[in-house]
Amino acid sequence: MKKREIQSKLVYYGPGRGGKTTNVLHLFKTMSRQVCGKMVTIDTRGDRTLFFDFLPLSIGKIMNLNIRIQVYTVPGQVLYNDTRKLVLRGVDGVVFVADSRRGKIEENIESLENLKENMAEYGLTLQTTPFVIQYNKRDLEDIHTVEELDRALNSVKAPTVEASALTGEGVFPTLKKLAGMVLENLNQRQASSAMRPRMLAKEPVAAGVREEAPAAPPAPRRVVRAAAEPPAVVKEQVATGVKPVERRAPRVAPRRESVSRRAAPPPKAQAKRPAGGNRALLYIVVTLVVLGGAAAALYYTGVLGRLLG
Amino acid sequence: MSDSKCIMLIDREGYMVTKTGHTEDFDMQAISALVAGSYAATREMARLLGEEEFSVLFHQGKRDSIQLTLVGDRTILATVFDERTTIGMVRLYAKEASQKLDKLFEDISQREDDGSEHIGADFAKTAKDQMDAVFCD
Repeated sequence: MKKREIQSKLVYYGPGRGGKTTNVLHLFKTMSRQVCGKMVTIDTRGDRTLFFDFLPLSIGKIMNLNIRIQVYTVPGQVLYNDTRKLVLRGVDGVVFVADSRRGKIEENIESLENLKENMAEYGLTLQTTPFVIQYNKRDLEDIHTVEELDRALNSVKAPTVEASALTGEGVFPTLKKLAGMVLENLNQRQASSAMRPRMLAKEPVAAGVREEAPAAPPAPRRVVRAAAEPPAVVKEQVATGVKPVERRAPRVAPRRESVSRRAAPPPKAQAKRPAGGNRALLYIVVTLVVLGGAAAALYYTGVLGRLLG
Repeated sequence: MSDSKCIMLIDREGYMVTKTGHTEDFDMQAISALVAGSYAATREMARLLGEEEFSVLFHQGKRDSIQLTLVGDRTILATVFDERTTIGMVRLYAKEASQKLDKLFEDISQREDDGSEHIGADFAKTAKDQMDAVFCD
């Protein structure tokens, strides 16, 4: 049975201590469990994000398509640029969480420039990717005005949202705005792709779609997943590796077997279904061992000496 | 064949493509995202060491272990197994499965789009209405 699904990846980007994780945390705390999955954070002891935060959202069905949104944040600290780049891989939409406090404008600009550079590595630009700027920390007193922030940060004329992630104000509007843009973008990309499917078929980022759904549209990046239930052939291949656990008798062997011992698969099992190359190798090894054993036995019993004269 | 607990096929952006076996106990979406992250980080590590990439990753636990095998250059085959099998068995069959899947994906990517999976034109509008319902404060 085919399962049609749209998955999109949204990334919260911005300077360190800007409130990216707080945004996602607010979503996690306030959304219903049916919509929002388990939040994963990889942070340092001081609550600074080390790798990323991750929150899966399941929006429900739209026109018979399951909509799933994966929300990621990046580590804001300057030294983690490699990690930020990795999280941006395959991104469908970006929220830039800007710190509205006075004295933070340089950090904001630096982070925005960094975002542009990292997106360029994947062939993306802020103009062509759904992009929303969130002016965060509006509840504090010593902050820049929206006009000042716009002048400094919003040269691409992206939609902006005023927010206070700590109180939750503006958090949902930001996500709603971006998610809407991503889905609209998907619609547009598909419309344009109908005219040039062959060209887009070579697009390197368009990952998952064609793999699991042969007839899926080539344009939206990995978006329409038409077969989460694997296609017949995939199922057969994958199934070779797994057996239901109940069917097996528990092993008596001690649990703490060393890796090196465990690394050698039992020859009997290997002989059951080895690959073509392995089988030939196995035969050669077995033949050599048998010949060697026979020669040794003959030598020790003195038979070999007599035979050789 | 390898007596593993479950197998997941995950793409490198962190989406789970499909799964099989006993997966009820696990949060598959979170695992997929972390596997992709872990793989991406390991790839960078490999590059720093002068390798193109590490095609197999293995994390050993007290009870369960996980082996990650690269399939082609876009997907990862994650095998979760416990003490009822050995890493050798898992490795053997994962390698074989990975090669077959790679070939399969290669064949699929050659096929032409027949348009049957295209989403409708008014999709964006319907989606916006749904967003309003889900993201209300």
